Amino acid sequence: MELNAGTAGTGSHKTASERDEVAALESLQFTDEIRRLMSAPATDNASSFTALLELPAPQAVQLIHSPDSAKLIAAPAPAPNVDEFKGSFNFPFNSGLIERATRFSLFAGDGSINDNNKSNSPEPTSYNSSANLQKPVKSEPAETESYQPLVSDPTVENRSTKRKDREKVKGSTKKSKTGAKDSSDDAEKLPYVHVRARRGQATDSHSLAERARREKINARMKLLQELVPGCSKISGTALVLDEIINHVQSLQRQVEFLSMRLAAVNPRIDFNLDSVFTAESGSLMDSNFSGMVMPMMLPEVQLNGNRQQYPQQLHFDAFQQPVWGTEEVCNNYITPENSLLSYDSSGNSASLHSNQLKMEL
Amino acid sequence: MNKYNPPRMNPSSLRSRFATRFLRTLSKINAQKPTSSSSPTEIFRRYRRIKAAADKSMAYSVRSRRTWSRAMLWKLRTRPCGRRSVKTSTIIKSREARKTRHEKQNKNTTTTTTTTTGEDGVVFGVEADELRELVPGGEAMDLYNLLDETAHYIKCLTTQVQVMKKIADFYSP
Repeated sequence: MELNAGTAGTGSHKTASERDEVAALESLQFTDEIRRLMSAPATDNASSFTALLELPAPQAVQLIHSPDSAKLIAAPAPAPNVDEFKGSFNFPFNSGLIERATRFSLFAGDGSINDNNKSNSPEPTSYNSSANLQKPVKSEPAETESYQPLVSDPTVENRSTKRKDREKVKGSTKKSKTGAKDSSDDAEKLPYVHVRARRGQATDSHSLAERARREKINARMKLLQELVPGCSKISGTALVLDEIINHVQSLQRQVEFLSMRLAAVNPRIDFNLDSVFTAESGSLMDSNFSGMVMPMMLPEVQLNGNRQQYPQQLHFDAFQQPVWGTEEVCNNYITPENSLLSYDSSGNSASLHSNQLKMEL
Repeated sequence: MNKYNPPRMNPSSLRSRFATRFLRTLSKINAQKPTSSSSPTEIFRRYRRIKAAADKSMAYSVRSRRTWSRAMLWKLRTRPCGRRSVKTSTIIKSREARKTRHEKQNKNTTTTTTTTTGEDGVVFGVEADELRELVPGGEAMDLYNLLDETAHYIKCLTTQVQVMKKIADFYSP
């Protein structure tokens, strides 16, 4: 990468001539960046501007987040410092670089001003930092376009097209420049997803839309993972989907079992709507939601080997041997439910309540 | 000794809506039954009716806000039911018109999204099909809406299981 090449080559230049300037400008953290800016192009001709381009963004971040950023604004002008540099160093592209450095210092100051403005806004800090990243980076490519006739570097043109694509897509950025992927929670906070092209990725509208869609889908998958018990540990989308499918099938089978049980149980007891409903409203509030479902799944797992064939087997069995089937189902349901009610602390009151009602009946 | 005051239920929650409706249907079914009905065929028939009542009351509680509830209601209405064939035919026609319109909208979105070959489309191929079979009305949905519907469907299914279990517990000896 040109950045590393640039910084590696600066070792020899740093020691001799820069020491004086460093001593004079030690209060500004600016000095390191300016130094690197000045000396980086000495190594490479073609890559000089790109090195210059790539430097400002991370450096700009450091500048913005440095506590001394206020000094940048307060300082009379960074321009005189640059003039000092100008006299001491000899470079092939002197004037162009100096102009670029002044502009960098100027908009770095602008970036910090924007930072101060933005810090008052109620945005979360991740947006704050990424939005601040956007400002200096965006103004940087603005200058590359002005220097377009000077430099015919493909990377520079790539960056300008990237900026255009970014401007097509909506404002605040989601991803940091370093390429670290943000959590998909951000997608859920916004009413719609803001997508930004990462470095080295295709920037046409199709891939951007695809990426937005994929992020939406990943957000939904995370929601489902939370909803389905025991799914949060699993990594890998295919396995998570398998778990979800298992869960849905088990729930549907539970509904079938319960309706079978209700069909078998009902002829014995007279159906009184009021008493049932009061019992329901009392006990429904007490019981824990997930606690009910989880132990229910265990007998399911024991009973069922194969997903697809079981419901048909159930119907067949129900038709032929209903007594045996319901008894088996009842036995399977009573024991985990009793254990369930004992596990669940709030469920104890539910069992008490239902027992009282049964005694009344 | 403290008096046990049951906390007030939210009367418009999904659970209470489903519970009321299902209990009403259940009492209706039980009122219809003959006195001696322990024959396997009778129990099986009643099981089917109760299951359909449970599904229907669940779908009604969701009120056609969701694709799966609409699809389930439509499926239940068009099931082969000997007695009410005349009524269902008119309902079927209106439902069909509504559903085909809805499916056309869904299919338009489906065609635009499935042509893009993202890696998600390739990875979720088999499982997505299985999920589509499970969730009612899932055939004509793209992956994102399918996941959305699945989440709501799971939530409603758990409510249904809970209420039905409570009822069954109440009536088991």
